[in-house]
Amino acid sequence: MPSYAQSDVLVSTDWVAQHGADPKVRIVESDEDRALYVQGHIPGAVEIDWQTDLQDPVQRDYIDRTAFERLCAERGISNDSTVVFYGDKSNWWACYAFWVFKLYGHHDCRIMNGGRKRWELDGRPWSTERVSSPHAVYTASEQDGSIRALRDEVLKHSRAGRPLLDVRSPEEYRGERMHMPDYPNEGAVRGGHIPGAHNVPWPMNCNDDGTFKSAKDLENLYLKELKLKRRSPLIAYCRIGERSSLTWFVLTYLLGFGNVRNYDGSWLEWGNCVRVPIAKGPEPGGITAAPATAEA
Amino acid sequence: MMDNVQARIEGVVAEFADLDGREKLELLVEYAAGLPPLPADYQAKKAAAEGRIHECQTPVFLWMTTNPDGAAALVAEVAPEAPTVKGFVAVLRGVVAGRPAEEAAHIPDDLVERIGLADVLGMLRARGLRAITTRIRRGFCG
Repeated sequence: MPSYAQSDVLVSTDWVAQHGADPKVRIVESDEDRALYVQGHIPGAVEIDWQTDLQDPVQRDYIDRTAFERLCAERGISNDSTVVFYGDKSNWWACYAFWVFKLYGHHDCRIMNGGRKRWELDGRPWSTERVSSPHAVYTASEQDGSIRALRDEVLKHSRAGRPLLDVRSPEEYRGERMHMPDYPNEGAVRGGHIPGAHNVPWPMNCNDDGTFKSAKDLENLYLKELKLKRRSPLIAYCRIGERSSLTWFVLTYLLGFGNVRNYDGSWLEWGNCVRVPIAKGPEPGGITAAPATAEA
Repeated sequence: MMDNVQARIEGVVAEFADLDGREKLELLVEYAAGLPPLPADYQAKKAAAEGRIHECQTPVFLWMTTNPDGAAALVAEVAPEAPTVKGFVAVLRGVVAGRPAEEAAHIPDDLVERIGLADVLGMLRARGLRAITTRIRRGFCG
């Protein structure tokens, strides 16, 4: 049986129950629905919200290095902390927060396999206490551009015929809808996908209980069916970068891919850009027409 | 004090006004816990997928009804994994309950901003709650 490339990055609910109170360990909850944390969180866990904590309130970008350092200090996270992320929705936002922590160079990040759902299914306790964190000292690195793709880089990548993974639903990929099934349209004016992108919806990575699929299943999907190589330069995207953070995590840490970037601008940016190429329908397509480009 | 939808809206706004972000969410969770279970006569409608709000990611079912005496009633079921939506729907249910439908048709679309939840939740989530408010208001229009 093959095992995950970096199996220590994934921890079980049992591990969290045993190590949650260790002062070197910080448990961080990140959810789609913030009220879930208030309703009940893992004892000792702090919350980091993808929208109100990790996004810059003015510019459409992540908080800058100084603000990230302040956030970590306030949450009691220091440079040598083991930070374990978990959340709702099969850990979408946990993976997103994990990715932002990697962007700023945090060394020891983990995901609690199965997130809130697995914790609940295991019958473990929820806490409503307000968690106060001892103030920590944190020094962040400059952003690690090797795991983040910006729009112009994605355009070059697509033109060069390099592999892209669109992890949204097939309906979104084909351009029949511009948002997740049952989600409100969050403002893309065009539907479809980035030319050349393969549609690998994020649920293909997960089991019903929110845990990740086995190494064998994931290898079958990405290495055998899609014929990707671990050294392939890959860009993953979705609508706003949360589901593709999960795919980025799976490829990088569970399968050991060495060159995967998350395009966090995702469809909410691409579907609004003037003169970027778009493919519609079930086929990846590719840029074959004369380039009408948004590039300088 | 006069009881009408407008006065109840003001009451809710006042209830949330002095709370910090965490307390606002705690109050919302309390509201969520108070949303009564779906009445038995609505289970069949739900099974037929009537009332489903397709814009919402987690299952949300809403029925805006008017009793024979003209009083508005909001009947709702929201999945437990979405306490923010559930709590917000419970707030709106209390606002319209028993008042004439024509009053319910005037609930303000920006209630989520007025109770100060937009900053706590962020723009994308607030937009979802705004859409729900609009949906309910329209459901009570004629």
